[in-house]
Amino acid sequence: MGDIVEIYNDYKEKADFLTVYVREAHPTDEWQMKSNVKDDVCYAQPKTLEQRVAIAKDFTSRYKFPLPFGIDDMSNAADSVYSAWPERLYIIDETGHLAYRGGMGPFHYKPAEVRDWLAAKYGAVKHEAPVAVAPASSATASASPSATGASAPSGQAPGGSTK
Amino acid sequence: MKRLLKWIGGVLAVLALVAFGVLCYMAGSPKDAYGMVRYALPHMHSGTLKVGSDAPDARLVALDGVNHFHIRERIGARPLVLVFGSFT
Repeated sequence: MGDIVEIYNDYKEKADFLTVYVREAHPTDEWQMKSNVKDDVCYAQPKTLEQRVAIAKDFTSRYKFPLPFGIDDMSNAADSVYSAWPERLYIIDETGHLAYRGGMGPFHYKPAEVRDWLAAKYGAVKHEAPVAVAPASSATASASPSATGASAPSGQAPGGSTK
Repeated sequence: MKRLLKWIGGVLAVLALVAFGVLCYMAGSPKDAYGMVRYALPHMHSGTLKVGSDAPDARLVALDGVNHFHIRERIGARPLVLVFGSFT
């Protein structure tokens, strides 16, 4: 799931991005997942727009989420027209037509397909393979971003905490 | 006739057990299987949109909770990647 932020960073000069926050997938008063408790992502399903906005703000600030952000209203209008719940990806071309229609999440939510679409249009962005860290002293290991978890928030995307 | 009904009942019971087992496997546990059936499946829709369809519009609330904007306002000179999701 964290791939979306990476894709955004790779292609934000070429394409526009918009995150649409829809109704919660695993709130505490419905189908809560153990992973949500572990990650301290525990919210009841919002009953008011204010509650939905508060959760969205918490999300964007907690993870410093960089993508432009919009919130579906309490009539779930965006979710309805895009069949978006619980998570889904689309690409709209410059003429206002759907150029890519992702499958229903979580099983068919595939950011790699968005990357492939953008790569086909604008060229692939290569990332260096992670360098294997040789066993070293604990002080060295704890100083690396991955060991401290510093890289995790930047890779977080809506719905990513449970997937 | 009674025997036939017994067989049908037995087969249906086995099918139901298998379906429940598959659901538990997919969801992770019996509790999650219940959650999936009760809360997820009613909201999951494949939809009728296809590649080439006009992109539907919807009005969204900005993160400040006050202002609004339309998805169509973001369609312009570049492709627009739409990412739908929630926190949990």
